[in-house]
Amino acid sequence: MKTSFSTEVVDLDRQVPNRNKRESRYFWDELYSLISAGGFGRIAIPYEPKWDFGGRSGIPRSMRSIQMKFGGPRGYLAFLKEQGITAVDCIHLDSALFCAGAPEMYLGALDHFAQEALAFAVGLSCPVLTLTVTPPVFAVKGLLAGQEGLKEADFLRKLADVIRDLAERAGEAGIVLCVKNPYWGLFRGEAVLELLEKLPAVKLDLDTAHLQIAGADPAKLVKQAAGRIGVVHFTDTAFMDEQEAYLTPLPEFPARRATKVFRDIGDGTVDFVAVLKALQEAGYQGGIVFNCRNSYDSCRSILRTRSYINRTLIPAGYTEQAVSMYAARRKGESENEIIPHESLEDGSL
Amino acid sequence: MKLSHMSHWKTVPYKQIDNFRDFYYEDKSNIAYYQDWDRILRYHKATGYEGIELAPWDLREILGLFGTPQEFTAFAGEHGIEVSGMFHASDDSQIPEKHDEVLRAAKDAIDILEKFGGKHLNMCPARNYCVHGPLSEEDLAVSARVIDEIGAYALDHGIQVGLHNEFFCAVNKENHRRFLEMTDPGKVFYCLDTAQIALMGDDLLDFYDTYAERICTFHLKDTASLAVPDAVRYGMDPEIRDDGWRWFWEPGEGVLPLEELWKLVKKHNFQGWVTIEDDGAPDYLAAMALSSYYFHEVLERV
Repeated sequence: MKTSFSTEVVDLDRQVPNRNKRESRYFWDELYSLISAGGFGRIAIPYEPKWDFGGRSGIPRSMRSIQMKFGGPRGYLAFLKEQGITAVDCIHLDSALFCAGAPEMYLGALDHFAQEALAFAVGLSCPVLTLTVTPPVFAVKGLLAGQEGLKEADFLRKLADVIRDLAERAGEAGIVLCVKNPYWGLFRGEAVLELLEKLPAVKLDLDTAHLQIAGADPAKLVKQAAGRIGVVHFTDTAFMDEQEAYLTPLPEFPARRATKVFRDIGDGTVDFVAVLKALQEAGYQGGIVFNCRNSYDSCRSILRTRSYINRTLIPAGYTEQAVSMYAARRKGESENEIIPHESLEDGSL
Repeated sequence: MKLSHMSHWKTVPYKQIDNFRDFYYEDKSNIAYYQDWDRILRYHKATGYEGIELAPWDLREILGLFGTPQEFTAFAGEHGIEVSGMFHASDDSQIPEKHDEVLRAAKDAIDILEKFGGKHLNMCPARNYCVHGPLSEEDLAVSARVIDEIGAYALDHGIQVGLHNEFFCAVNKENHRRFLEMTDPGKVFYCLDTAQIALMGDDLLDFYDTYAERICTFHLKDTASLAVPDAVRYGMDPEIRDDGWRWFWEPGEGVLPLEELWKLVKKHNFQGWVTIEDDGAPDYLAAMALSSYYFHEVLERV
């Protein structure tokens, strides 16, 4: 499977010591080489145009940033390659970023920024664009508050229309549009399956931690959604939402009992081996994005993920493509060529 | 004088963490110490501050956690901290067609600041020099007119609008004195950001001495970068440097003549809020403590 590591590992939103570094380009330039050193030759990127408004173009999460700092997608890809990253496998747009004002304003912003993210994906030859399907429950209630006559069902119907149009445009560009269903959204857990029935051109971004927190079994959902999975995010958690944090304004931060909801891969309770086996049985051939969302320590997260892959997933039958460009160089092969993991070639598995 | 601290803490995701020890043990790092307003407000009080200046980009989360501005203010009050003011970007104030939009946005900011109990709306006119500059005399006049209206509305609500320059904005070295003089001194005041003035290339001491009557509050910070070249200030996105270079330092850690400035502050008998702004600092708790020490132990002894 194509293995990538998400740069969402870097938390830009919460205050932590040394956060200031994360707004400057030098921090990100080095990050790619660290991801590569951790054995990941491919990345996934959250698309966050909100940084454009503050002039934070050192943060490579928007088209504007890539154009300003690298002269455009081509220059960015060339730079990534120098750092050992050969491909961008997934772009993720979280629609909660611009959830404010009236519903029509939100839907217009969603369409605008989703098209921008699509152009970003096209420019980076990225095969998958994934969209967080709705903002948090609390935020949607805020959008609909005071909207005489506009019911949630009407809003969701209009939302589906926007997604349907976007999927069509993505398809024309050769890109798969997926929807991600966070545990704080309106299509949490298995509810996303109903949405997918109405959107045949759209695929599922199966995010393990979000599903588990919402009370769904990720391995079971793989079977239920077989053939409809466009990308998989391996995310970990130990959080049980007994306090119904998913209904609160900041659902990632359970108010009654503080905890880090998203853990590094292997530090939570998600049964990745079971999910892996379900994916194999379903004949899934797409990508796996390892995402230690909003990590406390990016370098440890990279290495913890690599350690978990090596110690747990590979013995369980996980196969990787293009572990790193350096492995290819050692073998004297083309840097652009996708190669199998060394451990597969020597027959040790 | 009362010391405030401008909140650059980004999103503070919790109001109050009651399971602090358990939360700490999840990662066994200092990150648990920077996640809730309860502790951050305690840090304010412990390091000698009486106020906090809010950042408008934090309002959504603050209102999510507290429900209303009044609830936040009451919570801060329990910690011995007042809301001194809020920052506001009066984007496009130089564009006549945007007059109503600019005025409405500023009135919204004033209305909510009033609910927080704040007294200063520190406001940056126009936008960045890059793309929007240079401004003509007519551009400045258009901007001054709408800001006069905003200033009048603010005064009616017990708030002073203080113009706030940024070293990379369209109101800059060549026109910021002129612009200040174009606004109504009875309605519009000035928030003197000590570092921004020096970065632009103006003379901090002369500026303060000249316009002391207009200065309603301070953003007190230091810099080691005097008179940054036009090519940098007027370039695209100059605020955050690619190489991590810092424009701003805690008072006393840069090269500004702050003790000389404070002699003038005493001469003009300034009374009011002085706000430490330490944007770009790697550790806000350390920066708050360093800045407070300098204010209380160096400047107040001038």
